[in-house]
Parts: sequence; structure tokens; C-alpha cells
Amino acid sequence: MVIAPVGGAKHRLLPSYSIIPVLAALALPTQAEAAGTRAGSTISNTASASFDTGGGTATVDSNRVDLLVDELLDVTVDSSNPADVPTTPGATGQLLTFLVTNNGNGVEAFGLATIANAGGDNYDPAVAQIYLDNGDGLFDASTDTLYTAGANDPSLNPDQSIAVFVLATTPGTVVDGNRGIVSLVAAAKTGTGDPGDSFASEGEGGGDAVVGSTGADGQDAGAFIVSAATVTLVKSAVVTNSLGTAGPVPGATITYTIVATVAGSGSVSGLAITDNIPADTSYVPGSIALGGSGLSDAADADAGDYNGTRVNVALGTVAGGQTRTVTFQTKID
Amino acid sequence: MRTALFLLLAMLAPGQAFAANQVALDNAVFVERVSTDAQGKQRIILEEPKVVVPGDRLVFVLNYRNAGAQPADKFVITNPLPAAVRFADAGDTRPMVSVDGGKQWGLLADLSVPMTDGTHRAAQPADVTHVRWAFQKPIPVGGSGKLIFRGVVK
Repeated sequence: MVIAPVGGAKHRLLPSYSIIPVLAALALPTQAEAAGTRAGSTISNTASASFDTGGGTATVDSNRVDLLVDELLDVTVDSSNPADVPTTPGATGQLLTFLVTNNGNGVEAFGLATIANAGGDNYDPAVAQIYLDNGDGLFDASTDTLYTAGANDPSLNPDQSIAVFVLATTPGTVVDGNRGIVSLVAAAKTGTGDPGDSFASEGEGGGDAVVGSTGADGQDAGAFIVSAATVTLVKSAVVTNSLGTAGPVPGATITYTIVATVAGSGSVSGLAITDNIPADTSYVPGSIALGGSGLSDAADADAGDYNGTRVNVALGTVAGGQTRTVTFQTKID
Repeated sequence: MRTALFLLLAMLAPGQAFAANQVALDNAVFVERVSTDAQGKQRIILEEPKVVVPGDRLVFVLNYRNAGAQPADKFVITNPLPAAVRFADAGDTRPMVSVDGGKQWGLLADLSVPMTDGTHRAAQPADVTHVRWAFQKPIPVGGSGKLIFRGVVK
């Protein structure tokens, strides 16, 4: 049965508050977990006492105290791109993804905006559009919703998140290694401010709306990194003849060497080296080589071909820092 | 301006819920806020619960008084915790608590909570479902007192 603890036998005013300084230290900071109790709900408290004044056990209830839970306005924005997103000069539709989460305890709409000129980077991406995800977390312009501020501000339940896609254009003037930052800002439509600021009767369920620890707005940054590559070609020629000299006499053989050097952190795709056979010379059949390995003259599976007027070697995609060496021969008529 | 009451003044709530048996039990709830003054010193203030949001600390104050003509024996006060409130502490009033909806009672330190795998873990303040004070001695005629506990809005 009930056994009274030692301290329970007092029935005068307890010196309860002597320990409050200690408790205060333990109490900070007060942190709401997740979204917490839904705005507009009521917290009701009633205590009861039972006792015996000689006529058996009697019970009495206290008055009931009802507290209306007000709406807390809190939002966070998190970039979904932990690493810089590669881009190239002049590229359009460059994508950054953010997650906007309602950390408050009521349904709230959030206005979205971007900041691309805050500094700390090399260039300002030109934000073209903001899209709201349809729920799959993947950007698709045909199924996601184009965002227009004030027209379709996303409304989120407590703890609900939405993915937001920011599409930007990379200026054509940027160079390899340049970095451009875009921040997405989300702000509660009811209002923002300092923690504790309140908007009377504007909360869900009829209570007040109170600015939470986030200030009712949040932002996070995503970044692009320009990954470009440049190609340089160097062509040289060596003449050999039957005389054992380097004289360009009729019948002498000219060996051309073309070195393609790709520089930068990016890569080039569809790279091809084409060279016309000079007048008064004749192509030496079967003389095309890439990196010292022979290629056939036919337009076939290998990368080289000769079509009667020019030599072509398709190099495909070549990453920065690599070189490709093409050689072929002609004979002086 | 919002009424802000300092701690020691805040508890003088009027008793009103008189019962037929002449024992009165009055229940009041305050919000405990911490303010920092210009010197950086922190001070706890109890406010009327005008605005309550998740994370707020509530102070529940129970004032009892024996207004009858007979001493009240076997005096027990029980307060079921509202579902949206997580128990924090009861100051130095050392209540007994229940962590199973009022079936078993004891000091928090003596209670445990069964786990799904059959083992038990020590009970935490967040497990508390009821708070109870049981008095060993009768409350004399005219005797009164005050009990408090704190909780956090979930």
C-alpha cells in the first residue's frame, strides 16, 4: 500500500523554492523535441485528494486548469548537396536541392527566396526557377511544381518536409575552379522575428503564434563548382628520305605528330582530331596511329579513318591532365 | 504588459475548490521562464500561462487546506500528468510516482520500466504518469500546505 516518503509529512508551507537556483541550472536550455504538442490542443490538469475525517474515505477534486497550446513557428532549411555541384561555363538548369522542414507544432505556410550574391564565392549563379517537389525527392520539371512567391507557398504540417529545387544558370565568363553559392531562405508566412515574439490569435487552433528558436525563418547554402577543361593541339612534322637526310624531296616521307593536351579539372567530350592531307602529298595507307598503336583506314570500330582527303581520329571523352598523341604519314609526290 | 510574478510571490493563489468535506484543494499552473538581466545573471520568473508552446516549463502548484472541524487522516493527493506534459521534477517535496498509469507507486529511483525484450530499465522522469503525495500524519483542523511539481510541454 501507500507508504509516505520521509518528506511527505509536512503540512505547513514547504520551503520548496530554496533549491530553485540548482534546478534552474539543470533546466537550461528548454528544448522542444520534434514538433511537439499540436497547436490548438488543450492541456487539462486536475488533482484529487482523498482523506478520512472519521466517516470513511472521502475524495475531493481540485479545480481544473486548461491551457491552450499556442503555435510555435520554427523552420529549418538543409542543403541536400553535401559536396559542391559540378557545373560548366554557360550551363543552364543547374540544380541545387534543399529540404525545408516545419519544426513548429502547427500547419504553416512558408515563403521561399534565394540569395546568390552574398559573397564568399567567385561568382553569382543566376537563379532561374524554384520548383517544389512532388514527393519523390527527384527533380522533374514535368511533374514538380514551379514555385511563385505568394501564389503557392508550400504549407507544411508539423514535422513535414518538402524538397525544393533551385535551378540556376552558370555565367559564361566563369573559369575552371570558380565557386558560386546559392542560399535558400524559408520564412513562416505568419511572421518571423526574435525567439519569443508572438502574433496574437494568429496561431493554429485560435491561440497565439510564437516565434521559436529558429526565428521562424531558416536558410542553408548550396554551391556550384565550375569544372572546365581546355584543349591545346601541337603539330610537328619529321621528313625522312632515301638519301638519309631531312630534305623534303619527292618521294620523301613526312611523319606528322599531333599532341592533344587537355588541362583543367573537367573533361572534354566528343574530342576528335581531323587533319587534311596537304596538296602535292599522298597519304601513306595504314599509317594512322594513336598512342603508338596502329588504326585502320576504314571507318569502323577503331577510332581512326582516312576518307581520301583527311585523317580523322575520334578521341571521345578525355579528362583534364591527359594527353593523346596521333601520328600519320604522307609521301611527297 | 504581461504579469510577471517573482517566485516567492507567485504561490499565493486563492484556494477556492471547497468540497463538501471541508478539505480544499486548489490547482494552479504557471509557466517558468528564465530571463537574463543586464549583468548576465539569470532569474527565474513565473508567469500566468498566457502563451504556452512545446518546450515550455510548467509549474503545477497544489494548495490544500483542511477547512473542516475534524483532522483529515490518510491524506493523499494524486495528480495524473496531462498527456502533453513530460514530468520534470517535484522540487524537494519527494512525491511518489507511477510510471504505469497508476498501478504501482514508488520513488522514481526505485521504479523500473519493462522493455520489449523482457528486461527492465530504470525509470526516467519522462516515464512518470502520476504524481502522488501521501501524508503520514493527519492534517489538523486549519492545516494547510503547498505541493509543486514541474513538467515540460511535449
